Amino acid sequence: MNSRRPLVGWLLIAPSLIGVTCFLILPVVLAFVVSLFRWDLYGSRRFLGLDNYVSLLSDGALVNSLLVTAIFTLISVPVSLAIGLVLATQLVRALPGSAIVRVIVVIPWVCAPLALGVVWKWIFQPSVGALNQILGVRIEWLTDPSLALPAVAFVAIWQNVGYISLFFQAGLTRIPGSIYEAARIDGAGPAQQLWHMTIPLLRPTTFFLAVTQVVASFQVFDMVYALTGGGPQHRTEVIASLIYNEAFGASRLGRASAVAVILFLLLVVITVIQQRWFSKRITYDMS
Amino acid sequence: MTAHTARRRPLTGSLPARRVLGHGATYLVLLAAAVLTLGPFLFSVMTAFTSTTQFAQQGPLSIPSPPVLDSFVGLLTSADGFVTPVAVTVQMVAVILVGQMVFSVLAAYAFAQLRFPGRDLLFWVYIATLMVPQVVVVVPLYLMLSEMGLRNTFWALVLPFVLGSPYAIFLLRENFRGIPSELMDAMRIDGAGTLRLLRHLVVPLNRPIIVTLVLITVVTHWNSFMWPMVITSGPEWRVITVATSALQSQYNNNWTLVMAGTTLAMLPLVILMVIFQKQITRSVGEATLR
Repeated sequence: MNSRRPLVGWLLIAPSLIGVTCFLILPVVLAFVVSLFRWDLYGSRRFLGLDNYVSLLSDGALVNSLLVTAIFTLISVPVSLAIGLVLATQLVRALPGSAIVRVIVVIPWVCAPLALGVVWKWIFQPSVGALNQILGVRIEWLTDPSLALPAVAFVAIWQNVGYISLFFQAGLTRIPGSIYEAARIDGAGPAQQLWHMTIPLLRPTTFFLAVTQVVASFQVFDMVYALTGGGPQHRTEVIASLIYNEAFGASRLGRASAVAVILFLLLVVITVIQQRWFSKRITYDMS
Repeated sequence: MTAHTARRRPLTGSLPARRVLGHGATYLVLLAAAVLTLGPFLFSVMTAFTSTTQFAQQGPLSIPSPPVLDSFVGLLTSADGFVTPVAVTVQMVAVILVGQMVFSVLAAYAFAQLRFPGRDLLFWVYIATLMVPQVVVVVPLYLMLSEMGLRNTFWALVLPFVLGSPYAIFLLRENFRGIPSELMDAMRIDGAGTLRLLRHLVVPLNRPIIVTLVLITVVTHWNSFMWPMVITSGPEWRVITVATSALQSQYNNNWTLVMAGTTLAMLPLVILMVIFQKQITRSVGEATLR
């Protein structure tokens, strides 16, 4: 029986191994290769060495999109985590009716970011959009260069808050109620409890969410595509938008691949840092 | 002890007032969350049911009177409407779902329960590929599948995903490792082969995580946009997200039609989510516990 096992093992993993090799590992290698060429959508190619990387750095496109992505991340991740936490602390009180709200706030998370982007593009529309009609103003939310990125970040926050609160709810229910009982007896008010107990005790959840949300926001594409396509004046051109626009807009597959390689290396660095930090976990057993 | 009881007294005294105030604030937060979440959906669904003339006269905040199905009828009857995209999306999701589940279960079982040379190294390779996002591989994948002559075909939509997912394999392996070996041995002694073991023991014992993965897979691929947009062209193999995007750029100011499109694109998953809310909540636990 044992002699047959190695073969069975290999047979069982064969399909997924083919998939992982052909559609994940090989493309990453190929991205490195293509990034060294001038390569267009119609098949013409010429070896350039590192010229794509040099031109990306010198014409500012890469720096711009890294900056846009960083700003987007620095707005959307902290704000959605903070709102998600506040929402979670209210939802776990399990008052009558909160079960419905718990379901409602997760609805945006299951919807296609592309479709939500289209809905919000319409809400932001200057003349017939719902937002300007409600506010009684005429603001160009998505075409004003200084407003576009905050507006995009707002939609991302709106989509993710409910999902993030699910994780905080799970974290909160793991904190023993007896700790709060003790704090209340010692006279700690709700704000003190939140700041001195809940937030420190939720550190593992917060850290997990921060890492996964940062990684996700470095890959955001669909919503930006629907809302602005990267404009105005490249002000919302996140890394993924730059890759798409270079490859399928400007037919510069080599330059697009160079951006992809840089994004990949960035994500590897983030993941390695995450692995280092994850070993420092605290327990809820305070005794 | 006495100090505690002494401090407790003033708090208990004002408890009813505090409780009402506390609940009031909570309900305010919950109400705000519900309204802000549902608002955009409400606006878009309302607009989808508004006639174009009423929309032109009264704008986006008007309540449809009477509600009309014109936009939906238009979307479902016109030649470049939503019937084909819905059919293509359903087929794509179904094929990817079946393939990913079957091949991921097979691989996860091998990684969790069998010994074979290279197993641990390969598993680490699988884990490492979790770091590879779609957008990094989209250009090379496009070149590869174009080279294979698969551009604008159904196969191009499903092939990169149908052979299993490292994420699913990872989660399943964690769960499969917990199966008691006495149960496995007992079935093996009774002469059960690997496939019978999987069907009658491994899969039934791990139904919750499999349901979770089914939901994640359906949501991910129903909503996927970048790859289908890149690898298909024209209406033949258009999926629902690409059709929504095309509708928006084609009928830029016909918002009643566009909102009918987004409603059709989102409604199936919203229904799915409401039905399976418990499993989705649990999937959050699965993700944090890894």
